[in-house]
Amino acid sequence: MEVIKIIGIAFIALIIVVLLKQYRPEYTIYVSIVAGILIIALVIDKLAGVITLLQNIANKTNINSQFLGLLLKITGIAFLSEFAVSICQDAGENAIASKIEIGSKILIVSMSIPIISSLLEIIIKILPN
Amino acid sequence: MDISLLFRIAAIGILVAVLYQVLVRAGREDQAMMTTLAGLIIVLTMVIKEISELFNTVKTIFNL
Repeated sequence: MEVIKIIGIAFIALIIVVLLKQYRPEYTIYVSIVAGILIIALVIDKLAGVITLLQNIANKTNINSQFLGLLLKITGIAFLSEFAVSICQDAGENAIASKIEIGSKILIVSMSIPIISSLLEIIIKILPN
Repeated sequence: MDISLLFRIAAIGILVAVLYQVLVRAGREDQAMMTTLAGLIIVLTMVIKEISELFNTVKTIFNL
Protein backbone atom coordinates (compact mmCIF):
# COMPACT_ATOMS: atom_id res chain seq x y z
CA MET A 1 0.00 0.00 0.00
CA GLU A 2 2.88 2.31 0.76
CA VAL A 3 4.27 1.66 -2.70
CA ILE A 4 1.38 3.52 -4.31
CA LYS A 5 2.10 6.56 -2.14
CA ILE A 6 5.77 6.44 -3.04
CA ILE A 7 5.05 6.17 -6.75
CA GLY A 8 2.48 8.95 -6.51
CA ILE A 9 4.94 11.32 -4.87
CA ALA A 10 7.60 10.37 -7.42
CA PHE A 11 5.30 11.06 -10.38
CA ILE A 12 4.09 14.39 -8.96
CA ALA A 13 7.68 15.48 -8.38
CA LEU A 14 8.60 14.31 -11.88
CA ILE A 15 5.84 16.36 -13.46
CA ILE A 16 6.84 19.44 -11.46
CA VAL A 17 10.50 18.99 -12.41
CA VAL A 18 9.64 18.69 -16.12
CA LEU A 19 7.41 21.75 -15.85
CA LEU A 20 9.98 23.86 -14.04
CA LYS A 21 12.87 22.75 -16.22
CA GLN A 22 11.88 25.08 -19.07
CA TYR A 23 11.34 28.20 -16.94
CA ARG A 24 13.54 27.97 -13.84
CA PRO A 25 15.98 25.02 -14.10
CA GLU A 26 17.57 25.86 -10.74
CA TYR A 27 14.36 24.87 -8.87
CA THR A 28 14.44 21.30 -10.17
CA ILE A 29 17.15 20.39 -7.64
CA TYR A 30 14.97 21.55 -4.76
CA VAL A 31 11.98 19.59 -6.01
CA SER A 32 14.04 16.39 -6.35
CA ILE A 33 15.53 16.84 -2.87
CA VAL A 34 12.13 17.36 -1.29
CA ALA A 35 10.66 14.41 -3.17
CA GLY A 36 13.51 12.20 -1.94
CA ILE A 37 12.99 13.34 1.63
CA LEU A 38 9.22 12.72 1.48
CA ILE A 39 9.67 9.20 0.12
CA ILE A 40 12.31 8.33 2.72
CA ALA A 41 10.16 9.80 5.49
CA LEU A 42 7.38 7.41 4.46
CA VAL A 43 9.48 4.27 4.91
CA ILE A 44 11.87 5.34 7.67
CA ASP A 45 9.72 4.01 10.53
CA LYS A 46 9.61 0.54 8.91
CA LEU A 47 13.39 0.67 8.87
CA ALA A 48 13.38 1.45 12.60
CA GLY A 49 11.33 -1.71 13.17
CA VAL A 50 13.90 -3.79 11.31
CA ILE A 51 16.70 -2.31 13.37
CA THR A 52 15.01 -3.09 16.70
CA LEU A 53 14.45 -6.66 15.46
CA LEU A 54 18.16 -6.93 14.67
CA GLN A 55 19.07 -5.65 18.10
CA ASN A 56 16.79 -8.20 19.79
CA ILE A 57 18.37 -11.04 17.82
CA ALA A 58 21.85 -9.74 18.64
CA ASN A 59 21.05 -9.63 22.35
CA LYS A 60 19.72 -13.20 22.33
CA THR A 61 22.72 -14.67 20.49
CA ASN A 62 25.20 -12.56 22.58
CA ILE A 63 26.85 -11.13 19.45
CA ASN A 64 29.14 -8.30 20.54
CA SER A 65 26.68 -5.36 20.55
CA GLN A 66 29.54 -2.97 19.78
CA PHE A 67 29.90 -4.53 16.33
CA LEU A 68 26.16 -4.24 15.67
CA GLY A 69 26.30 -0.57 16.65
CA LEU A 70 29.20 -0.08 14.26
CA LEU A 71 27.32 -1.89 11.51
CA LEU A 72 24.32 0.38 12.02
CA LYS A 73 26.54 3.45 11.92
CA ILE A 74 28.12 2.26 8.68
CA THR A 75 24.72 1.64 7.08
CA GLY A 76 23.64 5.11 8.17
CA ILE A 77 26.69 6.70 6.60
CA ALA A 78 26.22 4.71 3.40
CA PHE A 79 22.53 5.63 3.28
CA LEU A 80 23.11 9.36 3.71
CA SER A 81 26.03 9.53 1.31
CA GLU A 82 24.06 7.63 -1.34
CA PHE A 83 21.25 10.19 -0.89
CA ALA A 84 23.69 13.06 -1.48
CA VAL A 85 25.55 11.33 -4.32
CA SER A 86 22.39 10.66 -6.31
CA ILE A 87 21.26 14.29 -5.92
CA CYS A 88 24.65 15.62 -7.05
CA GLN A 89 24.67 13.31 -10.06
CA ASP A 90 21.10 14.35 -10.88
CA ALA A 91 22.26 17.96 -10.93
CA GLY A 92 25.10 16.96 -13.25
CA GLU A 93 27.92 17.50 -10.73
CA ASN A 94 29.73 14.14 -10.95
CA ALA A 95 32.93 15.57 -9.44
CA ILE A 96 31.19 16.54 -6.20
CA ALA A 97 29.39 13.18 -6.16
CA SER A 98 32.64 11.26 -6.38
CA LYS A 99 34.15 13.38 -3.58
CA ILE A 100 31.23 12.49 -1.32
CA GLU A 101 31.69 8.84 -2.24
CA ILE A 102 35.41 8.88 -1.48
CA GLY A 103 34.86 10.69 1.80
CA SER A 104 32.18 8.30 3.01
CA LYS A 105 34.23 5.25 1.98
CA ILE A 106 37.19 6.52 3.99
CA LEU A 107 34.88 7.14 6.96
CA ILE A 108 33.45 3.64 6.70
CA VAL A 109 36.87 1.99 6.52
CA SER A 110 38.15 4.03 9.44
CA MET A 111 35.13 3.03 11.52
CA SER A 112 35.44 -0.66 10.71
CA ILE A 113 39.04 -0.93 11.95
CA PRO A 114 38.07 -2.48 15.33
CA ILE A 115 36.04 -5.14 13.54
CA ILE A 116 38.92 -5.99 11.25
CA SER A 117 41.40 -6.13 14.13
CA SER A 118 39.20 -8.45 16.19
CA LEU A 119 38.74 -10.66 13.11
CA LEU A 120 42.51 -10.86 12.70
CA GLU A 121 42.93 -11.80 16.34
CA ILE A 122 40.44 -14.63 15.96
CA ILE A 123 42.24 -15.91 12.85
CA ILE A 124 45.61 -15.76 14.61
CA LYS A 125 44.21 -17.75 17.54
CA ILE A 126 42.96 -20.44 15.17
CA LEU A 127 46.26 -20.77 13.30
CA PRO A 128 48.42 -23.58 14.81
CA ASN A 129 51.55 -21.69 15.78
CA MET B 1 6.30 16.92 5.70
CA ASP B 2 3.66 16.44 3.12
CA ILE B 3 3.06 16.79 -0.56
CA SER B 4 2.00 20.43 -0.29
CA LEU B 5 5.67 21.36 0.07
CA LEU B 6 6.29 20.18 -3.49
CA PHE B 7 3.42 22.31 -4.78
CA ARG B 8 4.66 25.34 -2.84
CA ILE B 9 8.10 25.05 -4.43
CA ALA B 10 6.55 24.67 -7.88
CA ALA B 11 4.32 27.70 -7.29
CA ILE B 12 7.26 29.85 -6.18
CA GLY B 13 9.26 28.71 -9.19
CA ILE B 14 6.55 29.60 -11.67
CA LEU B 15 5.80 32.89 -9.91
CA VAL B 16 9.47 33.89 -10.06
CA ALA B 17 9.64 32.92 -13.72
CA VAL B 18 6.62 35.11 -14.55
CA LEU B 19 7.90 38.00 -12.44
CA TYR B 20 11.27 37.73 -14.13
CA GLN B 21 9.73 37.97 -17.60
CA VAL B 22 7.51 40.91 -16.60
CA LEU B 23 10.38 42.82 -15.03
CA VAL B 24 12.71 42.12 -17.95
CA ARG B 25 10.06 43.35 -20.40
CA ALA B 26 9.66 46.46 -18.24
CA GLY B 27 13.34 47.09 -18.63
CA ARG B 28 14.28 46.43 -14.97
CA GLU B 29 16.83 43.64 -15.32
CA ASP B 30 18.42 44.24 -11.91
CA GLN B 31 15.12 43.99 -10.04
CA ALA B 32 14.34 40.86 -12.04
CA MET B 33 17.58 39.37 -10.80
CA MET B 34 16.65 40.39 -7.27
CA THR B 35 13.29 38.65 -7.39
CA THR B 36 14.91 35.48 -8.74
CA LEU B 37 17.43 35.51 -5.90
CA ALA B 38 14.70 36.18 -3.36
CA GLY B 39 12.65 33.25 -4.66
CA LEU B 40 15.68 30.99 -4.54
CA ILE B 41 16.45 31.97 -0.96
CA ILE B 42 12.88 31.38 0.18
CA VAL B 43 12.83 27.91 -1.34
CA LEU B 44 16.30 27.23 0.05
CA THR B 45 15.21 27.96 3.61
CA MET B 46 12.20 25.66 3.22
CA VAL B 47 14.32 22.84 1.81
CA ILE B 48 17.02 23.26 4.44
CA LYS B 49 14.44 22.76 7.19
CA GLU B 50 13.38 19.49 5.52
CA ILE B 51 16.97 18.34 5.10
CA SER B 52 17.81 18.99 8.75
CA GLU B 53 14.72 17.07 9.76
CA LEU B 54 15.82 14.14 7.59
CA PHE B 55 19.33 14.19 9.06
CA ASN B 56 17.94 14.20 12.60
CA THR B 57 15.66 11.21 11.94
CA VAL B 58 18.49 9.27 10.30
CA LYS B 59 20.82 10.15 13.16
CA THR B 60 18.37 8.91 15.78
CA ILE B 61 17.56 5.73 13.89
CA PHE B 62 21.13 4.68 13.09
CA ASN B 63 22.38 6.31 16.35
CA LEU B 64 25.20 7.90 14.41
